[in-house]
Amino acid sequence: MVKKKIAKVLAFRYKMLAAILILLAGGLVLLPKYQKHEGIDPQKLLSNVISSERYITTDKVAQKLINRDPSFILIDVRDEKCYADYSLPNAINIPLKKLLDEDSRTYLNQNQFDVVLFSNDNFYADQAWILCNRLGFKNIRVLKGGLNSWFTTIIDPMEPSQNMPAEAFDLYSTRKAESMYFGVVYPEQANIAGSETKIEAPKRVITVQKKKKRVAEGGC
Amino acid sequence: MKELEKTKRISIAAVLFILAVLIGLLTYERPKHLYAINTKSTLEKLTSDDYLITLNDLNDPDQVLIDVRSQFEFEKGHLENAINIYTPDILSDENSDIFEELKETNKTVVLYGKNPQEVNPPFLILYQLGFDNIKMLAIENSYLQNKLITKNSEIERSEADITTFINESRENASMPIAEEVVSAPKKIITFKKKKKVAEGGC
Repeated sequence: MVKKKIAKVLAFRYKMLAAILILLAGGLVLLPKYQKHEGIDPQKLLSNVISSERYITTDKVAQKLINRDPSFILIDVRDEKCYADYSLPNAINIPLKKLLDEDSRTYLNQNQFDVVLFSNDNFYADQAWILCNRLGFKNIRVLKGGLNSWFTTIIDPMEPSQNMPAEAFDLYSTRKAESMYFGVVYPEQANIAGSETKIEAPKRVITVQKKKKRVAEGGC
Repeated sequence: MKELEKTKRISIAAVLFILAVLIGLLTYERPKHLYAINTKSTLEKLTSDDYLITLNDLNDPDQVLIDVRSQFEFEKGHLENAINIYTPDILSDENSDIFEELKETNKTVVLYGKNPQEVNPPFLILYQLGFDNIKMLAIENSYLQNKLITKNSEIERSEADITTFINESRENASMPIAEEVVSAPKKIITFKKKKKVAEGGC
């Protein structure tokens, strides 16, 4: 009797199994869609954001510019008008509004260059950085203090007072030299330049020693 | 007999499969924090500028001030009726509850810190998590003889006109402006990353 009942139930087993599978598949359709959940985990984003690793100082950027470091690009996130007024040499203009455009992504989402974002302050640049970081773009940094800091440190460095340590004077002279590179002219520099006639750097001729031709060896 | 063996195996496999799926569904844990707003709409919000308010706008009783500085600085001095939630703690359970509750009661959350730059991270993270009742107070806090001084600050103000400064320095040095150092333009070659086609799943 019992066996019969079991047999009856077992006769339906495939249908039942199939029904359960279909139900489960239906459940998967009902799962919420996380399309808006693009990018890295919010917790991770927070820990990235609160560390100050992303900042790069104006001194470092100046040095990179002077050395013509090919491995980095500067991106100006201010609007076009500000960009036309003044920008760092060779900077690319990507206004904040266009940050996520397809064309901008080629500059931001790549791994050959270090990208330095800057604006007048680091307010807009930070915002751009946070969005990029959420999308997982790598090698992006922010110019600490932006162009305002660029002006006060590199373009118009403050002369250290007498009681400051020697490092401050070294830093000042470095920055002053850097500011000359970026176009600022100091009165004392002009005097020197005026009195001096242009001396062309002597051409150095580097001779390359020719390899002696080897006489063919051997043979008979 | 052989046929029976085969069907038995199939049914065992099917049962195991269903069990695996069930276990998967039961142990599925919803991530604690989920973005509710994608980057595109966040960017639109950022460029609209209506998230910034100044000290003069602070008179609505529906506004709740939140100080994102550390507890130490908060205790040294803070705005009236402000709550202290330090930036690294904004995603902790109890603080999430606070934000959740403020959103439900239709209050406007006003974040402030030492300067607007400092408020950027908590503001952006909370906004992207879907708290759209959030604003940023554009102020600068400093201390004078241990007394908190708060003043409005203009965001992204250009402090100096660098082009004019450089030209003036040339004039002062009686150097012609004409010759301008033009550094060779840098050629930047970028390669488009291929978009990954969405992999399966749902």
